[in-house]
Amino acid sequence: MTAREYPAELTVQPPPLGELRLLAGTQPLSLTEHISRYGPIPRLAGPAQLIAEVERSGLTGRGGAAFPAGRKLRAVAEAARVRARPGRAGWAVVVANGSESEPASRKDAVLLALAPHLVLDGIALCADAVGAGRAYLCAGHSGSTRALAAALAERDRAGLSRIQVQLTDTPDGYLSGQETALISVLNGGAPLPTFVPPRPAEKGANRRPTLVLNVETLAQIGLIARFGAQWFRSVGAPDAPGSALVTVSGSVDRPGVREVPLGTVLGEVLRWSGLSRSAQAVLTGGYFGTWLPLPGASAVPVSEPGLRAAGAALGAGVLAVLPEAACGLAETARITGFLSWQSAGQCGPCRNGMPALAEAMNHIAFGRPGRDVLGWAQQLTGLLPGRGACHLPDGAAGLVASALRVFAADLTEHTRSGPCQGAAGAPVLPVPAAPMPADRSMR
Amino acid sequence: MSGTGPATAIVVTSSTPLWYATRATGLVALVLLTASMALGLLSSVRFERPDWPRFVTLGLHRNLSLLALAFTVVHVLTTVLDSFVSIPLQDAFIPFISSYRPLWVGLGAIAFDLMVALIVTSLLRTRMGLRSWRLVHWTAYLCWPVAVLHGLGTGTDTPTTWVLVLTASCVLVIAVLTLWRLARAWPARPLPSTVAVVLIVVTLIAGGAWLHAGPLAPHWSTRAGTRTAHAAGVSKAEHGISR
Amino acid sequence: MSQSQEAASRRGAQRQSVPRQPALRRPQLRVNPIACEAHGVCIELLPELITSDQWGYPVLRTGAVPLHLEDLARRAVADCPTLALRLVLPE
Repeated sequence: MTAREYPAELTVQPPPLGELRLLAGTQPLSLTEHISRYGPIPRLAGPAQLIAEVERSGLTGRGGAAFPAGRKLRAVAEAARVRARPGRAGWAVVVANGSESEPASRKDAVLLALAPHLVLDGIALCADAVGAGRAYLCAGHSGSTRALAAALAERDRAGLSRIQVQLTDTPDGYLSGQETALISVLNGGAPLPTFVPPRPAEKGANRRPTLVLNVETLAQIGLIARFGAQWFRSVGAPDAPGSALVTVSGSVDRPGVREVPLGTVLGEVLRWSGLSRSAQAVLTGGYFGTWLPLPGASAVPVSEPGLRAAGAALGAGVLAVLPEAACGLAETARITGFLSWQSAGQCGPCRNGMPALAEAMNHIAFGRPGRDVLGWAQQLTGLLPGRGACHLPDGAAGLVASALRVFAADLTEHTRSGPCQGAAGAPVLPVPAAPMPADRSMR
Repeated sequence: MSGTGPATAIVVTSSTPLWYATRATGLVALVLLTASMALGLLSSVRFERPDWPRFVTLGLHRNLSLLALAFTVVHVLTTVLDSFVSIPLQDAFIPFISSYRPLWVGLGAIAFDLMVALIVTSLLRTRMGLRSWRLVHWTAYLCWPVAVLHGLGTGTDTPTTWVLVLTASCVLVIAVLTLWRLARAWPARPLPSTVAVVLIVVTLIAGGAWLHAGPLAPHWSTRAGTRTAHAAGVSKAEHGISR
Repeated sequence: MSQSQEAASRRGAQRQSVPRQPALRRPQLRVNPIACEAHGVCIELLPELITSDQWGYPVLRTGAVPLHLEDLARRAVADCPTLALRLVLPE
């Protein structure tokens, strides 16, 4: 399937200069504006061309796992080729994941609002590349379904709809956007993770090879297909090419979503958002992420390899800054309580270990912890990782371990004289309220 | 069979070693099946002691099931080979087609088929998927009582005291363990558990009543469908005894 | 391994005179945490490789299953009441 030719008066624009790529402005782009800014969706020689270009670009997934996008494309294309029934095209499925269940992240919502057509281009291109006959665009409360439906209708009228894209509302819940949980929802099941194997690339939605990509990744693919891998790599770092969207929040003057070249140091990224001098730490990745001290970690590059070297990760691109006056242990305790509430409850270690971890953190943050509580918390952080069907327990364990490390001074004060002043203050990081105990039984 | 004098003599001289073998292997198979079922129930309630780990229960359960099948196979073979009553091999697999006590032998065929299914699926357990294996394994709850009924209905030894005591002990063991199993399941699923308990109690009472009015009452062999010449031979002995 | 099994593996090795893979891939234990219901049979059978956490759930030792424990590992996989334990070849 190929793109239709556009009217001659619309010329193809040169690639966007400078470092703003995905987010070209502050207003949503209509289809005509989108085409006038980026050019029409390119006509490629064949599916292999896109896959090769994405592989050359070094694009990694922007949903949190940072898996090489080219490799995922190739895996799904191969699985679809092997399992497709002869004469039946369109065996695979593309899922655009804009669920954004991470409370501290807003980048997917902003991208879907401002540049929905980039995402839809990415979907169409990937569908061609893997041989998919249908696609799902999953947005939670993060994307307006009506605006997306309007964008799809626009493309329909312009004759650009090469594939049926079904809009789906991701249900509430921290795990709903997780890859296998989302596929479970699409298959009519509960929003709970499933055991892997089989991977979605082998057997996902409707038991077909399914390509699940974050909406930002798909938008990047929409650009790579137009301007090439070289162009993509012209910005960013050699080990982390391209740009990425980050959500900066907390004690900064200009919180919000920014597009940054990967590899820019943390201090600079935060300065762009108006970093207040009194920041003590930053939570990177998401609520399942890691604390880094400020200004100590200012020179850490904002990229997957850069953050990993510092014991953190880019994750969902969350950078939540903690002011000096707040208590990192209290924030962590609240987040851990939230994560524990959000557990699917399917795996013993998580079902048992997460409430224990939340309780221990509560004691550490709001009580006067003795050495046994601290020892127990440390033991739990070693006991949880790698023992669940998803990475929720890993994330919580990593969060708590980093908090105990980064806020060691607060920890000493708490053990000596109970909770500090900051612990009694208002929460900095927004944590949805947990239901009353009775509600829990409804899960 | 109780009785003295000439009637007993008729019974003794008309039986063959094969008939003894059939009855013996049948009873032993029932005991082994009961033991296997008991261990299966113990496993389902996660029974464990410091000197009796879970894998002992599971290992014994597997071995006793295989033994039970072996004895049942011998039981079937001796029955088929015994020329006194004509029971061809297919009667052991296809229920209710036998000319001798069709219902009761048929129950034996059902129990035998289920045993084979249970064991074959358990040997292929890791290749089957848990749900299908579990579905087949639930038929154990059908297999065992059917085997007991088959024994009571077909068995010529049923009226003897020690056989009754043996069968009653087997029933008691399984009833108690099943109630234990249901008690474990009750918190999560009160309704099905209660229904199951009621069913068990009703079955026990009905079973007892049937036993009293059936195999333990006179002329059972005729009522059970022992045909013509065989009936003459066996009921003659019974008449002799009841007099 | 029984004598017959040893003989069989010797014959197998002789048949494979040209190895297809540079190194033998040894199987590893993996547990499906959703299916696992903490029956603990695997922990009893393979204490060298599987220990219990305070809630009865298995903690697997990382790495390949040693040759002398492979039979026991296969038995543990077959005996798991919920078929949660598996032996997999690493990718």
